[in-house]
Amino acid sequence: MSTAERLWHPLASLHDLVPRHVFWGRLLGRELAVWRADDGFVNVWENRCLHRGVRLSVGTNDGRELICRYHGWRYASRTAGCTYIPAHPADAPARTICNRTFPSLERYGLVWSGADPDGEPPTFDELESGQTLALRGVAVRAPAGLVIDALSRHRFSPTARIGVPGDGNGAGAGPRMTVTGRGDYHVVLRAESPDGEAASTAVFFAQPADADRTLVRGVLAAEPEPGSRIPVWRHHNSALSQLRDAVEAEARRRPPPEPMVAAIEQVPIHLSQVPEPAQKGRRAALRVQVARKWQAAVDVAGFDLVSIAGQLPTFQPGAHIDVHLAGGLIRQYSLTNAPGELDRYRIGVKLEPDGGGGSRALHDSVRVGDVLAVSEPRNNFPLRRDAVRTILVAGGIGITPLLAMSQALRHQGLDFELHVFARSDDHIAFAELLDGLGEAVTRHIGLSPDETGAALESLLAEPGPHEHVYVCGPGPMLDAARRIAAAAGRSDDTVHFEYFANPTDIDDSSAFTVELARSALSLEVPAGATVMEVLRANGVEVASSCETGACGTCRVAVLDGDLVHNDVYLNDTEKQQGGEMMVCVSRARSDRLVLDI
Amino acid sequence: MITLYDWELSANCYKVRLLMSILGLDHSPVPVDFYPGWEHKSAEFAKINPLGHIPVIDDDGYVLRDAHAILVYLAVRYDPTRRWYPVDDPKALGETASWLLFAEGTTNTASAARLYVNLGYDFDIDAVRAGAHRLFGVLDEHLWFREREGLDWVTSSPHPTIADVALFPDAALSEEGGVSREDYPAIRRWTDRFRSIDGFAVMPGIFPPHRSPPPS
Repeated sequence: MSTAERLWHPLASLHDLVPRHVFWGRLLGRELAVWRADDGFVNVWENRCLHRGVRLSVGTNDGRELICRYHGWRYASRTAGCTYIPAHPADAPARTICNRTFPSLERYGLVWSGADPDGEPPTFDELESGQTLALRGVAVRAPAGLVIDALSRHRFSPTARIGVPGDGNGAGAGPRMTVTGRGDYHVVLRAESPDGEAASTAVFFAQPADADRTLVRGVLAAEPEPGSRIPVWRHHNSALSQLRDAVEAEARRRPPPEPMVAAIEQVPIHLSQVPEPAQKGRRAALRVQVARKWQAAVDVAGFDLVSIAGQLPTFQPGAHIDVHLAGGLIRQYSLTNAPGELDRYRIGVKLEPDGGGGSRALHDSVRVGDVLAVSEPRNNFPLRRDAVRTILVAGGIGITPLLAMSQALRHQGLDFELHVFARSDDHIAFAELLDGLGEAVTRHIGLSPDETGAALESLLAEPGPHEHVYVCGPGPMLDAARRIAAAAGRSDDTVHFEYFANPTDIDDSSAFTVELARSALSLEVPAGATVMEVLRANGVEVASSCETGACGTCRVAVLDGDLVHNDVYLNDTEKQQGGEMMVCVSRARSDRLVLDI
Repeated sequence: MITLYDWELSANCYKVRLLMSILGLDHSPVPVDFYPGWEHKSAEFAKINPLGHIPVIDDDGYVLRDAHAILVYLAVRYDPTRRWYPVDDPKALGETASWLLFAEGTTNTASAARLYVNLGYDFDIDAVRAGAHRLFGVLDEHLWFREREGLDWVTSSPHPTIADVALFPDAALSEEGGVSREDYPAIRRWTDRFRSIDGFAVMPGIFPPHRSPPPS
């Protein structure tokens, strides 16, 4: 790696990054898409969609995500992870689909970045007063070295007024110029009028866009009055344009340099092959810190979890994380965040006094500042964006994944309604978010089970074309919604459920043989053991999360065998087809079960 | 009803379609087989325009040729706000005339480069691309200072004019002719703004506006 790649370089002016715009930049031969999200974060990405290589600089900055023009792939601010692929509306994109990002930092009115920069961007005492003015960037078709040489002989007026002595434009004696600092990519110049009355200092940076292209980005060490800024800008633009013409003439007399070739990162070998099942059971890949804990509703604690090191991974609406707690407890909580909100994960934890102790531990023992082990986000409840209308139905704390979905749908301008069922207004978690969703929200407060059923019947009646329903809440409500939706003529693949827990009574008295077609193994599953336990005991690893048949993580393709489905993740059609099973709870009725692993 | 002698891929015809769309004017297009039929050079078309150019309009029997002339006519006749051709603002009007002339320059350079690449026209490609870059450099600098003055468009009017309409197509299609806009960030921001004008219309090679919701 060259020295230049270890340095921070200016890449754009702050005025280049207007809202909802994508700036097209270049540094050391690498094209970059630079965009500011609505929360102020400046993204610097490889200017290339991972799908078909189209420039992302022609894409849409929607304030939270950057959308490729070609096939509409969406990438989240901060991570550049893909959150949605329109051609695969029912699937959650793999977490590994992530564009290359570069660091960014704002200083002196410029955005700084680099290939792999060390430390921080350079600081200049002259510019530390806080009074600076970034000049118009001037592109020069010449190598940075030639530009720096020319800049060290550059002249400008300390008064920026034309036609007065010392203006550098030929009227009377010119300004006294002093080079007060110089590096490979910058020159610090001080201009003083001959009478010593006026002085002005400027730092000029040479941004090495490519071997033969340099952007001169100047910063004045003063902030002129608003009314006199334009003459100052014009004076410097004119002076730098003269410098550009002279340097370009000089560059044309020399042999052209070899273009810089920015290394495009190869896809790592482990991503280009079918992954080895390497993980041992449930892993907590991330360490996060509790930045905030508050009462988000009656019996609901809200937690903001921030990264300890590095950027939190991308999530999609509907995704959950596993939270690992003392005593081996592992609990799943949905992320409630809006798109591109990757400075923290926000979860809501309902206190379950009769539960296994996970929610009790989070409520009573976990405090602000504590470090938690959590898994990367996993999405078994993906949200389609191709529905004509989306109906979201939340029961109690089941609102959490639907809040993430609502915010995504609203931000994308898609038609949806959110029905919130709760015992009282004080039982609605993160109720403040509902205000931002306006008329899309209907509250159903304090209904009896019968009234809830009637409300569900009314809102699920008369399915419209391309309408999708997402329901998350307590088991009885979900069972009722499933029955009512089917009676209303809604097909299984348009009604999506997320259960908190699996209420099924599991009969594990059967014993059978499980054959692993790819692994060429034949294993015996005795009564009392799950398929997952037998697989793991024999060194075959399976991803899992809830391990109770609710979340869908341990889904495995089935090639042959008669199944007893004990999960609540697959819908009835999928269960009848028998093509998949949850190995944590489901079993075989037949003597032999063949899995595609 | 206005008849437009039109070719879908022509940047000059697109200027006229853009303004008609922005002003909400209906028109009936008469497709001219510009390529590969060279219909605009036919004896039949010479009766409509002896110069053998498109676009030409026929507004209820009144026939007018040349894109920029048509923009002036349509704006004065059909824009009751008098903003697209700012006849009440002498400075903005003078600037509009100046930038319309400038747009003839981009037709002869950026648009020519596009004809060279897309249709195999015989131009000195290096010369027309260099000419386009010289003009875009001037336009970018101009628009950068307009932004500093708090103005969004090429003239000093706070409202876009037919000068913006005349300049937009060649700028927005320049990459087809191998003229990169990478060095013209102010032009790129201005084309973003232009796309969000009510009534904006697309043509092949022009992206629709960035439709994204307001900040939430």
